[in-house]
Amino acid sequence: MDIPAMIPELMSALPLTLAITFTALIVGFCLALIAATLRIRRLPVISIFADLYVSYARSVPVVLQLFVAFYGLPLLVALLGAPDFFSPTVAAMVGLSLYHGGYLSEVIRPAYLAVDRGQHDAADSLGYTFRQKMTRIVGPQAVHIALPGYGNSLIYLTHNVALVMYIGAADVMATAHLIMERSYNQYQFETYLVLAVIYSLMCLVAWLIVRLFELRSPMYAPQAKQLKQVAMPSV
Amino acid sequence: MFDFEILVQDAQEILGAVPFTLLMAFMIFIFSAILGSLFALVEHQRVPVLREFVFAYKVAFKGIPMVIVIFLSYYGLPPVIQFLASLIGVKFNGHATPNWVILVIAVTACIAAFQAEVVKGALNSFDTGQADAARSLGYTSGQLFRRVLFPQVVIAAIPDLTNSIMVIMKALSLGFAIEVVDIFAQSQLTAALNFYYLEAFVIAVVIYMVIAYAVTQAADRMERALRVWI
Repeated sequence: MDIPAMIPELMSALPLTLAITFTALIVGFCLALIAATLRIRRLPVISIFADLYVSYARSVPVVLQLFVAFYGLPLLVALLGAPDFFSPTVAAMVGLSLYHGGYLSEVIRPAYLAVDRGQHDAADSLGYTFRQKMTRIVGPQAVHIALPGYGNSLIYLTHNVALVMYIGAADVMATAHLIMERSYNQYQFETYLVLAVIYSLMCLVAWLIVRLFELRSPMYAPQAKQLKQVAMPSV
Repeated sequence: MFDFEILVQDAQEILGAVPFTLLMAFMIFIFSAILGSLFALVEHQRVPVLREFVFAYKVAFKGIPMVIVIFLSYYGLPPVIQFLASLIGVKFNGHATPNWVILVIAVTACIAAFQAEVVKGALNSFDTGQADAARSLGYTSGQLFRRVLFPQVVIAAIPDLTNSIMVIMKALSLGFAIEVVDIFAQSQLTAALNFYYLEAFVIAVVIYMVIAYAVTQAADRMERALRVWI
């Protein structure tokens, strides 16, 4: 098995993998903002749903979340009366968006809360509107605190995209399995090594991007309580 | 569509996989905590060559998705085990290693990299002034560790250790790829028999959430009980 011949074929599956990742990134971010806001604000009934959603996303294995999306979506889509709009890729996008949103909301919420209370008070006393306060004072500090955690969650998302194969999306892992089966499963170890390198590179790129933002972040927030960041993988 | 009678039926079957999953999780937790503590100690004491090794280990095992580590050990470990056994003159068929042992080894290897971080953080939270005080009172290193350092470091680490138990529980769900039957794999098997997929997975979701809740509550209680000075 020559590894160089394998790489272009694996790379051909990369766009789909990246498409799933980016969808999850963007949709997940919006979900995380909503969930974090609801959990900070504590609206009567909706906040309970937000709590439930976050604990679902954090305590259930990602494979299981993908399967729930894969088998639950047709049901939901049928209820809405659009039977054909559905594929493993869409299920993967939905499942990973939900997972990423729940995980990220627990990065955003503590970061927001870690900004010193006095900063809010100062902004309020100067007559800032909520929007001004968020964009000029609290936001930049919270972003600064949240960036390392965001980097982690980005890397975990990249890792977990390796799982979409199990619901039948044709990503890099699935392509690798095709290649292995074509060579009668002789070179599994080598193929997985190549996969490991590919995923490591993807994580490296993700990490470099976040690092760039961290270095360029103009905010220096000495007053903000530094969050204890113990990275734990998310499976 | 969604059948509630199937739910009860499935629940009994899927609950049957809970003890084995918890047992595996517990084993992995103990092993990875020991391995992680060793790593953390190496970093804390700044042991010359081992330090670089630990760093490389952490980079490798944090960068590679866990599924891939599991598959790599599934295909790579048996020959390695056989080779190691032949080195010490034992005839052992490495390919007869049970899959769950391989899963435990693979997940332990992954989690240990993160456990090292947990232990390191806890060690850093320890006030060195207390060590100085103990030293000045003539404590030996063993006494210092047993009476001053360990009780505090353990409590500082409890929230993160709880977190890692949950991560291990979830990591075991990837074992279905190498045919280890845990909660998730059992729900898949159950669903494959009666074709009610969503029902089986909903049960599994509920079980995971209940376990997470129970573990968190237990850890909170323990922390509150052990933390005497606040």
